[in-house]
Amino acid sequence: MGELAVHVAHLRRIFKVPEREAGLRESVRSLFHRRYREVRAVDGISFDIEPGEVVGFLGPNGAGKTTTLKMLSGLLHPTDGEVRVLGETPARRRREYLRRMSLVMGNRNQLQWDIPAADSFELNRAIYQVPWPEFRRTRDELVELLDLGDLVTKPVRNLSLGERMKVELAAALLHRPAVLFLDEPTLGLDITMQKRIRTFIAEYNVRHSASVLLTSHYMADVEALCQRVIIIDRGRILFDGDLATLATSLAAYKELDVTLAGSGADLSGYGEVRSRDGDRVTLRVPKAQTPLVTARLLADHTVLDLTVEDPPIEDVIELLFAAARPPA
Amino acid sequence: MRTLRLIALHLRVVAMYEMQYRVNFFLQLFQSLLATGTGLVVLALVYGQVDELNGWSRPELLVVLGVFTVLGGLVQAVIKPNVVQFMEEVADGTLDYVLAKPVDAQLLVSIRAVRFWQAVDILVGAIVMSVGAAQLRPGPGLLAVLGFLAALGFAAVIVYCFLLLLATTAFWFVRVDTFVESFDGIYQAGRWPVGIYPSWLRIGLTAVVPVGFAVTVPAQALTGQLSWPTLAGAAALAGTLAIVTRVCWRLGLRHYSGASS
Repeated sequence: MGELAVHVAHLRRIFKVPEREAGLRESVRSLFHRRYREVRAVDGISFDIEPGEVVGFLGPNGAGKTTTLKMLSGLLHPTDGEVRVLGETPARRRREYLRRMSLVMGNRNQLQWDIPAADSFELNRAIYQVPWPEFRRTRDELVELLDLGDLVTKPVRNLSLGERMKVELAAALLHRPAVLFLDEPTLGLDITMQKRIRTFIAEYNVRHSASVLLTSHYMADVEALCQRVIIIDRGRILFDGDLATLATSLAAYKELDVTLAGSGADLSGYGEVRSRDGDRVTLRVPKAQTPLVTARLLADHTVLDLTVEDPPIEDVIELLFAAARPPA
Repeated sequence: MRTLRLIALHLRVVAMYEMQYRVNFFLQLFQSLLATGTGLVVLALVYGQVDELNGWSRPELLVVLGVFTVLGGLVQAVIKPNVVQFMEEVADGTLDYVLAKPVDAQLLVSIRAVRFWQAVDILVGAIVMSVGAAQLRPGPGLLAVLGFLAALGFAAVIVYCFLLLLATTAFWFVRVDTFVESFDGIYQAGRWPVGIYPSWLRIGLTAVVPVGFAVTVPAQALTGQLSWPTLAGAAALAGTLAIVTRVCWRLGLRHYSGASS
């Protein structure tokens, strides 16, 4: 113990991407003379993850999330910087390391299409050299936790997207990895299935105290699972810390939800009106003025209900990106 | 040991899958017999005109046809399906999952896909080979059979390495299916002993695309025409190709950048 699950320092990955203008002429020219552009997919990021921690990795498309996950799981060699996972250098792809981690990508399957998942599970058992009794125990536990039932005996091609994700997760966890990298595990799933997967990940984390690094486009995933988030944009870390403090420390305003007795009153003098639904009005007010505005509202109107809240986390993150990117 | 277990396990899974498609067995048997039948008719036509072809008698050429069919069966049943699947995975990024497994990636990439019923070719080829060998006077001795088995092993390694080497270029160029497809055409040249071709083609079929060499050497061994230096040459070629393939594979992995998310 005491060893960090993940240690990343000044990590950088640069891709060389061929570049050409549109059109046939340019295509022909690029056959002989290629121009390359350097893309800094990951540009000097540093962070640590403790054993048993669940961390959300957020950022827009192309921010460098997947590239980072791939470097952590040893698929990509970093251009520069240091990566240690469970004390190992992933890019060396030592078997001892690969046996203790798992990578799940929501948009790609690892299970073979034509055969039932149960057969793929057995192949994984052999590949990860899991002893039979342990394999059976883990498999039965996963079947129960994910409510797989007879899904494992059907050919994978006959499963729905959500069912497939569940068996994919089971396949990825049969060897009980100590570190789990999840890239958009709930992509394209309906709300119920998203919840189910979320509950499962939380349960797995608690039962086996595995470290989890999760990327997702769904804020709900992150809010439900992660205390800590790392927000990344254009290969750089914008924020690393507690999800709750992100909202309180970064948002320069609060949202006031006011329900008035008589409808129709114009509240634009108190703050920015974000939405109006009958008698219920949502106001955005600078944080420092919140006590004053609240007092004035209560004095001037018959207020039936009033709540003061931090803005939704999506809005805060949007603010963060807006601040990081200079206006075009 | 672990390698053998993994191979056996993959074979079992593939077999279970392919058993569902029994009709493929009959289709493949038909196709294999048709191809071999055509080969036999051509041989009959040639030997209706002449008694020997550049020093090769009819039974000897039967052996060549047999080796050609066996090796072709191995390519179609095991080597090509795996190589094709590997190239597809480089293109669509699913190779990531292979690389994330705690097992040698080259091994895993080489044993996953098997066209079970294509193995019928191996059986048919073996029969043609035995018929040819039985007509040889004098028949092959124990040493010849051992030399043949060794040469056949080297031939399999040579063809496997050559195809995988072609496929490994996918790490740099991504779309390389045409290279591998064109191999089928070139492989047809192995139907005849490499010695009957003009020297420039002979060199090509030995050194550049070593299929002629791979088919001819085992046949020479069985028909008693093999010199030990040639067998040693085959061994050296197999060994060298294996090393070169391994080195290129490792370089390729370093270069692999995955399909983007």
